[in-house]
Amino acid sequence: MSELRTENLTISFGGLTATDNVNFNIKSGEIVGIIGPNGAGKTTLINLIAGIYYPTSGKIWLDDKDISQIPAHERSALGIGRTFQLIHPLEGLTVLQNVMTGFLFAQKMGLKQAREEARKLCRTLELTGLDRATGEINILETKKMEIAKALATNPKVMFLDEVMAGLNSTETLEAIDIVKQIAAERNLAVGVVEHVMGVITKLTHSVIVLDTGRIIAAGPYEDVAQNERVKSAYLGGGV
Amino acid sequence: MNKKKIYTIAGISAALILSVILLIIRPTILVYGIQRAGIYAAIALPMALVLGIVHIVNLAHGEMMMVAAYLSYFICTTFGIDPLVAAIPTGIIMFFLGLIIFKTSIAHTLEAPELNQLILTFGVAMVLSQSVNLIATSQPRKISLDYVSASATIGDVSFGIYDFIFPVLAALFLAVLIYFLKKTRLGKAASAVGQNPRGARIVGINVDLTYTIIFSLASMIIGVFGSFFITKFSIFPAVGGTFTMKSFALVAMAGIGNLPMVIGASLVLGLAESLVMSVPHGAGWSPMIFFGLIIIVILSRSFRSKQ
Amino acid sequence: MNSTVQKNKTWPVIFGILGVIVMILPFFSGPYIQSIGRTVITYMILAISWDMLIRSGQLSFGLAGFFGLGSYAAVLSAVNLHFNPFISIVFAALVAGLIAFLVGAVVLRLRGMYFAITTLALGEIFRIIIHNWTSLTGGPNGKLLPKLAFDGASIPTYAMMVLFALIIIALSEYFKRSRIHYALTAIRDNEIVAKSSGINIYKYLLIAFTVTAAIQGAAGAGFAQLYGFVTPESSFNANYTLIPLAMTLLGGMYSTWGPVIGAVLLGVLGEFLKLYIPYGHLVVYGIIIILVLLFMPWGIVGMAGRLLKKGESHE
Ligand SMILES: Nc1ncnc2c1ncn2[C@@H]1O[C@H](COP(=O)(O)OP(=O)(O)OP(=O)(O)O)[C@@H](O)[C@H]1O
Ligand SMILES: [Mg+2]
Repeated sequence: MSELRTENLTISFGGLTATDNVNFNIKSGEIVGIIGPNGAGKTTLINLIAGIYYPTSGKIWLDDKDISQIPAHERSALGIGRTFQLIHPLEGLTVLQNVMTGFLFAQKMGLKQAREEARKLCRTLELTGLDRATGEINILETKKMEIAKALATNPKVMFLDEVMAGLNSTETLEAIDIVKQIAAERNLAVGVVEHVMGVITKLTHSVIVLDTGRIIAAGPYEDVAQNERVKSAYLGGGV
Repeated sequence: MNKKKIYTIAGISAALILSVILLIIRPTILVYGIQRAGIYAAIALPMALVLGIVHIVNLAHGEMMMVAAYLSYFICTTFGIDPLVAAIPTGIIMFFLGLIIFKTSIAHTLEAPELNQLILTFGVAMVLSQSVNLIATSQPRKISLDYVSASATIGDVSFGIYDFIFPVLAALFLAVLIYFLKKTRLGKAASAVGQNPRGARIVGINVDLTYTIIFSLASMIIGVFGSFFITKFSIFPAVGGTFTMKSFALVAMAGIGNLPMVIGASLVLGLAESLVMSVPHGAGWSPMIFFGLIIIVILSRSFRSKQ
Repeated sequence: MNSTVQKNKTWPVIFGILGVIVMILPFFSGPYIQSIGRTVITYMILAISWDMLIRSGQLSFGLAGFFGLGSYAAVLSAVNLHFNPFISIVFAALVAGLIAFLVGAVVLRLRGMYFAITTLALGEIFRIIIHNWTSLTGGPNGKLLPKLAFDGASIPTYAMMVLFALIIIALSEYFKRSRIHYALTAIRDNEIVAKSSGINIYKYLLIAFTVTAAIQGAAGAGFAQLYGFVTPESSFNANYTLIPLAMTLLGGMYSTWGPVIGAVLLGVLGEFLKLYIPYGHLVVYGIIIILVLLFMPWGIVGMAGRLLKKGESHE
């Protein structure tokens, strides 16, 4: 059982406050949607939690440990996993080797064990052709590889940043099933960023809505969708 | 924008304070410092222009200066003219040489990773210096001119005055470049390209042409400087190498895209070098202090930009 | 630089075996060929070391600096501490590695052009210190070794260099096959992704920088032991950066065999050209750097791999 909690988490880039006093928490077994218009600060929130940025103020707690100042690679080892909105596969490595990195470094396994575990993981994701270069795989396979890379770090908390974007509807349904199944099997805490509300309703238990860096609403999607502030944020954001 | 101004002011006032202190203790240090600063600034400005607009570190920068100096040398000895006159044809030839170098090689790596550009221009540098070595041998060459030894005495301090031509030249380069970038159509377009190449392309500016012109223009300035360089210093194929590093360091100190600050950075370095050289046995160590300073400045800058 | 994942392992191995055969041939010829062989191997070692670092995406122009440092460390330790030639080479590797470790702790925060130019400046700093520290280093005149390794006998010194090359090739292959390969490749491709997979970027860069500097130092020491003297101008010569770079680019980056092949080809070509146009070979190296970058950035090994792949997909 794990819990991730942010406390007044704030970051400013020059004059722009991209994350503004965000208090957010997520527990094992929960799937929380993180929604909001473009530029709301969803990706920035993930980057803060993963340690790509350090907060201007505020704290991040993973089970009673303040992780807000420790470097990204250590957070990965502690159990923060994430995918990337803009996917940058490691082009110099094969698909299998891409997946192996998390086992090798976050989980500190040896080469042989990492290779076996990566194969096993890919099998559960139905990802095949593992010796191909990353340039040779299709979009669904790329997304699966991305999820596999996050899972390879053995996360307690995992963030998926628009993994469904670019998939067609059948592929999206497949991806939703995979995420649900893995989250349940591993008792993960999952944060899901998506723009397609159909995905959010099918996948998540509750959502938070970000707008200009602030949480403007939280709760089950059906309730939040009725919220006037949320409606106007989306209208203002042009979605 | 605002920060840039603060740095500029801070840099210039640091140089001023250092100058005043020097003026009181040892006026000659100040004189030589300013003269050195002029040399550094004059050669660093074209690199600042290229880095700010084309976003390329040209590791052949100093070698192009060396080639220009040789060109000027051969023009002077062949036609019997003064290097200061030869600056004009040298500048023109260097414009076209720059054009050729850019079009045939560098332009093809603009979209490639920075690594490729660095290695490529390193290759260009080697071709230039080794070709000159092959053609002109490594024997140092110098043009003897009477007027360079003119000196002046103020109070009981006497010093060479010809070298003040370098700070004047640097100021001239800066003035011309700023006028060009701020007042002319082409210059304004170039500034826009420097700040945001993609945006500039969308607005309909011919980015590739702008890059070519800017690189050629910078080569022309290098050419003019090369002619002035030969009036005072002896040249050999390896003479350019350190100027690439020094120029880069100055541009990094000044902040990429900040031309006026190159003068401030050059003053700090020129004065510091001249100070170290005035200490007994200091002359040999002065480049060391210089490189040490480079590393400190580049590091502190990169830390700041990371935050 | 676009990298391809090398799936086909046969070509590099064939190239490698050819390279090793070329290294063995000089044993059966005269001292002149062996002396060329020693020079080529020195550059080969430098080329491999440069490649080992560029695999992490970090471009170092500091080869000549660490090479010179190693040369001096070897000669000074032999003169002042009476180290035997082999211990002096190991000592030089340690000195270069230690200095790289200390300097790297700061410099490895830099990337791209800042890192590249700082390494160039570092080499210059080493040279200036050595040049000016006359009491220890002999200043501009340099130092002489009292006694050469194997008294300068041709075959044993060549054998020593071949052994040295084999050790470095093995080390480079270890880098390619161990977890270091995964870390360095990930760092080159995307640092943020690398971090998110738990890779301690700084640690792996420091390992690569220290090890490659130690190799460069050892190469310098080996060279000093062969020729018996050091001077600031000759030991820190920019050619020790230029030539290995050209060799690696021609042979192909991101592999062990690329630098090996590049070194053999360019080394032999260079020695040949030297006879006809002294210094002309250096122009050729520069031109090769430019041409390779413009027309075949993946080098000979990479191109062979690609051709092979094309052939496969047509079958
Ligand atoms: N490194 C950075 N430097 C400066 N500004 C940044 C940086 N990263 C993000 N921002 C800004 O912070 C704001 C939030 O960006 P973020 O990427 O988090 O939005 P998002 O909610 O993920 O949007 P989208 O739905 O488009 O992915 C934006 O205005 C963005 O421009
Ligand atoms: Mg986003």
